[in-house]
Amino acid sequence: MSLLVTPLSASRAPSMLVVMASALVLLALCGVAFGSSWIPIDKVAAVILGVGEKTQSLIVLQLRLPRVVIAILAGGGMAVAGFLLQKITRNSLASPGVLGVIDGGALGVVIFLAALSNESNTLVTSIVFQPLAAMAGATVGIAMVFLLSGRQSVSAIRLLLFGIAVGAVAKALVMVMMLIGPIYRTSQAARWIAGAVNEVNWTEIQITALLLLPLLILALAVARKLPPADLDEVSARSVGLDLPVFRILVFAVAAALTAVSVAFVGAIGFVGLMAPHLARLIVGRSTVAGIIGSFLLGAFMLVGADLVVRVLFSPTEVPAGTVTAIIGAPYFLFLLMSKQRDDG
Amino acid sequence: MTVPRVQSARQSFAITIASLTLLLIAAMLVSATVGYRLYGLDQLYQAIFAFDGSETATVLVNLRLPRAILAPMVGAGLGVAGVLVQTLSRNRIASPDTLGLNAGASLAVVLASATLGISSLAGLSLVAALGALLTSMLVFAIAAGAGGISPIRIVLIGVTIAGLGQSVVQLILTSNEAQMQNLMFWLAGSFVDRPMALAINGLPFIAAGGAIAFALVRPLDALQADDATAVSLGVPVSLVRVGCFLAISLLSGAAVAMAGPVSFVGLVVPHAARRLAGLRHGPLMLAAALIGAIYTTLADVLARFVIYPVEAPVGAVTAVVGGLVLVVLLRRRAA
Repeated sequence: MSLLVTPLSASRAPSMLVVMASALVLLALCGVAFGSSWIPIDKVAAVILGVGEKTQSLIVLQLRLPRVVIAILAGGGMAVAGFLLQKITRNSLASPGVLGVIDGGALGVVIFLAALSNESNTLVTSIVFQPLAAMAGATVGIAMVFLLSGRQSVSAIRLLLFGIAVGAVAKALVMVMMLIGPIYRTSQAARWIAGAVNEVNWTEIQITALLLLPLLILALAVARKLPPADLDEVSARSVGLDLPVFRILVFAVAAALTAVSVAFVGAIGFVGLMAPHLARLIVGRSTVAGIIGSFLLGAFMLVGADLVVRVLFSPTEVPAGTVTAIIGAPYFLFLLMSKQRDDG
Repeated sequence: MTVPRVQSARQSFAITIASLTLLLIAAMLVSATVGYRLYGLDQLYQAIFAFDGSETATVLVNLRLPRAILAPMVGAGLGVAGVLVQTLSRNRIASPDTLGLNAGASLAVVLASATLGISSLAGLSLVAALGALLTSMLVFAIAAGAGGISPIRIVLIGVTIAGLGQSVVQLILTSNEAQMQNLMFWLAGSFVDRPMALAINGLPFIAAGGAIAFALVRPLDALQADDATAVSLGVPVSLVRVGCFLAISLLSGAAVAMAGPVSFVGLVVPHAARRLAGLRHGPLMLAAALIGAIYTTLADVLARFVIYPVEAPVGAVTAVVGGLVLVVLLRRRAA
């Protein structure tokens, strides 16, 4: 994996990060500007600075900005989780999707919808509790992974395999429950599984941000202590980095990041797998730059995906998670193809 | 000193293969006779060799027998394809899904059903096979265009294409809920109502894929370490990768055409097979074929009972059983 990446001169990574951040800000502004009515970018800026018109303020602050902000948080969180996992397992296929966390969350949602519906298939409780069910499911999923792996949790690839096993079981149970359930429940669950950023409010964003921020700081702190290059266990130990404890910590951080990211928006796919690879291709091998780059790219992908579904499929609300692969994947393929190097 | 040990290792491997074969035959007999209705082996024998047109004989020959034959074919194909993918990518969590073949087949099926209105099983099978084939050609072309099909590249391009395919599938399905209900069963994989013709049409592809795989046994052994070793042993690395890719496409393309995207078989079977047969590809792929066949056949039987009287998708059963098996293997430090 490491050979795929061209080591960049140290001076280029920061400037690339600035470019990526500017692109994200621009895209986020577009995300707020586009919608059922077009609001010019300068008006958007005015509203955010607190000097806008009243109706425009309402649309921007209550309807458009929340989905853009949650998309940044969730997309970025997933991407950082993916970066940590790929780094610690040295496996390019590692992603939040194979931790058992997301499928556990999906199972939580499906059980919530099934258990709390009455005979006529309407929910007996409020749908606002659905994220709680997702969070609980995700927590149980990752707890199962750690519980089952026991002392083997010090080995990254084994932890990953345990995650795959737990995830597969949860996913299959979700599939069966969706098949035997009534159509309302199926489509409601399918929405969560696809991942959508609409219908979030500021309270939910506050909760997500409050949980995500310390985790991201922790991720950066832990990552600084990770071996700079992809060291194997023996050489890492020889330079005084006790890997097993780190591995468990990094896994736990990644799992928590994933659980928080998916709770309100659902199982956004592909961002956690793709954004870290893309970040490495763009900013090189530095861990800190990689984490920041992953966050920016993940956020970019989800905000972009949400914009695409709003522009292309309006007025139908298509979940943004369905098109995350469409944002970024073509560019990723282009990058792969343009780096014509022998990296066998 | 070493000679008798090799001899005994060979003997114990022969015993393993023989018992797996017996187990497979037993699983196939169970699959043909056990289900919503229970039949005797004598009735099965009569239905096959002295078909009298009775209801029992018709059910056995037209509904049960195709499943008992299709399931092991699909399982064996996916088992071998799984070993090939994991060796080709040098990644133990890769599976035929990783190369995007199942996503491509699903996309083709959903598109054909949405735009052309194809709903017959035969039509969907053909479309699935075409979708898988086109996807494998696309992944291969991009990988080759990107400067050679190195392990890391093939995996990254595969998952990207798979992600794109899944995106479009989800997009079509979420915007058309009625269709989602219709296709969800196909998308989960199943052996229900498959005609025998499907097995007959699929056989040449499975056979060809298997033949290529077993022809590559020695170069694959060399390739699983690293490229430099393989080159120094005189292995034509690129050629072997092309062959490997071709075999994977044939095997999993045929499998997805016969049963839809059956998940997890290609991922977990190689792990179980390595425990029984070690790392050399000859014994490994033989064991993977047999284990995959047994696993899928029994999963198909189990699928008839888990949400009785309705049939569960076999893909769900393979995932649950496979997940549990993987946990057991891992806990015994075997996978």
